[in-house]
Amino acid sequence: MKMNLFPSLRHLFPLAAVAILPLAGCDKQPPVGNPKPGKTLTVGFSQVSAESDWRVAESKSMKDEAAKRGIDLKFSDSQGKQENQFKAIRSFIAQGVDAIILAPKVETGWEEILKEAKQAKIPVVLVDRGIKVSDDSLYVTLIASDFVAEGKLAGEWLAKKTGGMARIIELEGSPGAAPAIDRKKGFAESIAAHPGMKIIASQSGDFETGKGKEVMETLLQQHGKNITAVYAHNDNMALGAIEAIKAAGKKPGVDILIVSIDAVRAAFTAMVAGDLNCTIECNPLLGPLAFDAVEKARKGEAVPKKTVIEDRVFDQSAAAAELPNRKY
Amino acid sequence: MTKEDSTPTRPRVFAALRSFFIRHPSLQRLIWPLAGLGLLVLFNLMFDRAFFEITTRDGNLYGPVMTILRLAVKVMLLAIGMTLVIAAGGVDLSVGSVMAVAGALVAYLSTQGDWPFAALLGVAVLVALVAGAFNGTLVAFAGLQPIVATLIMMVLGRGLALSITGGLPISVQDPGLEFLGRGFVAGIPAPILLVVAVVVITGIACRMTALGLFIEAVGDNENASRMSGVNARGIKLFAYVFCALCAALAGLVTVGDVGRVEPDRLGQMLELDAITAVVVGGTVLTGGRFSLVGSIVGALLIQTLTVTLIRQGMPSDVAPVPKALVIIAVCLLQSPRLRAQLAAWRSGVRRVGA
Amino acid sequence: MNMIFRRQNLPLLVTALVFVVLFGAFSVAFKNFLSLRVVTNLFMNNAHVGIIAVGLTFVILSGGIDLSVGSVLAFATVLVATLIGKFHFHPGTAIALTLLCGAVFGAGQGFLIQSYQLPPFLVTLAGMFLARGLAFMVSAKEMAIEHGFHRALAGLGLPLPGGVAFGFTACVFVVVLLVGLWIAHLTRFGRNVYAIGGSESSAVLMGLPVARTKVMIYALSGFCAALGGVVFTVQAQSGNPLNGFGMELDAIAAVVIGGTLLSGGVGQVAGTLLGVLIYGTILTAPDYLSGFDSSWQRIAIGGLLLAFIILQRFLSRASTPGG
Repeated sequence: MKMNLFPSLRHLFPLAAVAILPLAGCDKQPPVGNPKPGKTLTVGFSQVSAESDWRVAESKSMKDEAAKRGIDLKFSDSQGKQENQFKAIRSFIAQGVDAIILAPKVETGWEEILKEAKQAKIPVVLVDRGIKVSDDSLYVTLIASDFVAEGKLAGEWLAKKTGGMARIIELEGSPGAAPAIDRKKGFAESIAAHPGMKIIASQSGDFETGKGKEVMETLLQQHGKNITAVYAHNDNMALGAIEAIKAAGKKPGVDILIVSIDAVRAAFTAMVAGDLNCTIECNPLLGPLAFDAVEKARKGEAVPKKTVIEDRVFDQSAAAAELPNRKY
Repeated sequence: MTKEDSTPTRPRVFAALRSFFIRHPSLQRLIWPLAGLGLLVLFNLMFDRAFFEITTRDGNLYGPVMTILRLAVKVMLLAIGMTLVIAAGGVDLSVGSVMAVAGALVAYLSTQGDWPFAALLGVAVLVALVAGAFNGTLVAFAGLQPIVATLIMMVLGRGLALSITGGLPISVQDPGLEFLGRGFVAGIPAPILLVVAVVVITGIACRMTALGLFIEAVGDNENASRMSGVNARGIKLFAYVFCALCAALAGLVTVGDVGRVEPDRLGQMLELDAITAVVVGGTVLTGGRFSLVGSIVGALLIQTLTVTLIRQGMPSDVAPVPKALVIIAVCLLQSPRLRAQLAAWRSGVRRVGA
Repeated sequence: MNMIFRRQNLPLLVTALVFVVLFGAFSVAFKNFLSLRVVTNLFMNNAHVGIIAVGLTFVILSGGIDLSVGSVLAFATVLVATLIGKFHFHPGTAIALTLLCGAVFGAGQGFLIQSYQLPPFLVTLAGMFLARGLAFMVSAKEMAIEHGFHRALAGLGLPLPGGVAFGFTACVFVVVLLVGLWIAHLTRFGRNVYAIGGSESSAVLMGLPVARTKVMIYALSGFCAALGGVVFTVQAQSGNPLNGFGMELDAIAAVVIGGTLLSGGVGQVAGTLLGVLIYGTILTAPDYLSGFDSSWQRIAIGGLLLAFIILQRFLSRASTPGG
């Protein structure tokens, strides 16, 4: 085989197409940062995903609020991947948005990307969970719930209801997910004071109804009468557990107590039906607070660094009254 | 040769078994996934006797084994459809999304007034026909690579499912669907009977008619099959439509079982389980000979493994590790080269011993 | 210049044309799209997928597949973070060790595939589960990296006009691309890969070192996946066992869009670059559209993919004599 080394590279000429890219630099650079006053605000919102009722409610709240205030909202669903959130933030910077609202998928990894936003003089508002950065000025404010506190409230409610004696099945959220880790931690801390409360099994239901049902079914067969309570990291999994318990011929809410977190509408319906005992609220309607912060930041006003949303506890007694209020 | 008379009974049984399997090569491939399943069953026999308990309540059967069968139904249905597509030389990544679209649409309609179950079924079939035709046309007629074509459907389908429900989950209200997902017929869960029916019908269609032969021919060597007069394009289109039908059916069963549709999560990542079941079951990814029963065994293997791990209390985040080891083990069992090595090692030992 | 339009270059040319049309269409549709910043973003955003895709190209060229790349990336990020954070290794050492681990992991998969003739799909699927589980075993949750050297790496880059910087991650991507091009076209290993992909039995009969090459192909893919992870840690300054979920599919899509056939033997690393750019550009489209929610985003991405893949197919059919 006659081999000429370099001629074989000639067929790479089509890569010259890539050469058009630097020509893009000939265009004037987009303005970043400071819009003229009175112009419509453009805000970029980087959302984690559409994986649960809660997430969808959070996104809707943002959209509704933006529409109400006449703000042009660029929405990006990152399908659960942090790298997609990097991409979204970069796209927002390139478009010269006036502010970025970020619902971070994870706690770490934001240092560099937020530096880029800072350089472009775009303020960043964090919603839904906090991040670990060495430089606090990389974001304007944080509006979030405290997942550990939610787990604690769940544990405390269960301890009070059962008088400190329970054999608990824990349905965890997706492995590695921050709400799952924190809600597990909070719950474990609160029941540590009650030696009669034992978690007999802890498996992931992936924050999903179907998986919650599958796992619950398997665990019911294994532990049967031993189970007195279920702690689910979110309502979706609790609803699945309810179905599994019914299918096993037991009465959810009566034979087995169920406590979960999120307080979505479906949970209240279940409580009214007597299937669910308690749900801890994790309010996703962060739109108003987020845009308040955005507008304040653009005007240069001071904004508190952290706003923790208070989580309320709802049990069956409050369910019927509260149900019509649940927007999500 | 009088050797036969002096050989003890056990090697004679082995010889009989071996000649049986040699005469039925398709069954031969089945041994290894069955062996894998056997390993898991053995493990549970040793460490988890309660695994095999079957109880009855209201005349219906319950128990971990029944749970495995029921939970495996969706992957089994997907795997049956996927088997034909893979046998025809392609692959279908969109099955999870088709499940989601069919499930979401049917669930949505069930909450909008009185749709009879037959109509809902018809809607699901329609969804499947459209999705399958889309995939099949892109692959067979536009000549796109199956991974790309079905990837497009996967993304589009997920988006459609989300838009049908507005992103929000829907609770299902249809007794027919609920029966499909959770009902019992003569004590046996309805979904299991459904799978049996689908396998039997598909098996008959494939093996009693020339359909199976055509599919294998197309997958093995498309050009040769076309020159032999097989309508390769039509066969491929059929395979993708059939796969979408199975996916839609799986979607209905899941929706009926869970009672609730989460459009973003329904069917997510199940295409991978389906392809794994098919490949573990003995069908080669490049196309050609296929085994429906093998795919069913493959699906059972995956589900048994999942349930066993939960019962053993394996933390969910490291559960993938034993899964990986079992898959490798089953692969190795299937490998002719390993068996040759073992045979050589065994005869080497025997020679040393003698 | 007839050389450029030779038969075997046509697929690459067509793909390049598709990219130009795509980028052009977006530049017209969205203001601020045609800018150096967006171009830089394209490379920065897709650096890790691109690096993985380069390694994956060799695997797919040989007729195989590697599903473990996303999980190996995750494992790499967690390993780097843990070695630096918990065991106080210097980042340089941590990175070197991680790259070695990636290569060894890949070689292990290659060994199983080659020696026992196991299906690559299943072996690398098992590898995917194994790497993901191992990542969680090393660190069940995310872990920040706090080391001056690592941070300095993030600061490296080529400053460009307009306050934009072609960062470290993008630079590594370009280097990996160039090395990939070199390996594929100018080394014997590259030629062997193409030969194996074309027909493995013929390659064996020709006396090519098929066994060794196959193991090396998977080792290369594992190495690239680990490198992608290392690059990710520089961008994120952290490690997380959740990283890279589904990234194998993105990488496979990029390679296939770039014109490489899954059956093997046909395709080029240059095509992979174009595939990464095309796929990456399509994925950013929803960010520029107002009022799109999650469902319409996916529909938009699916629709764009459909449109441009069909364009690619149509152009290549039209340009090939005899259809």
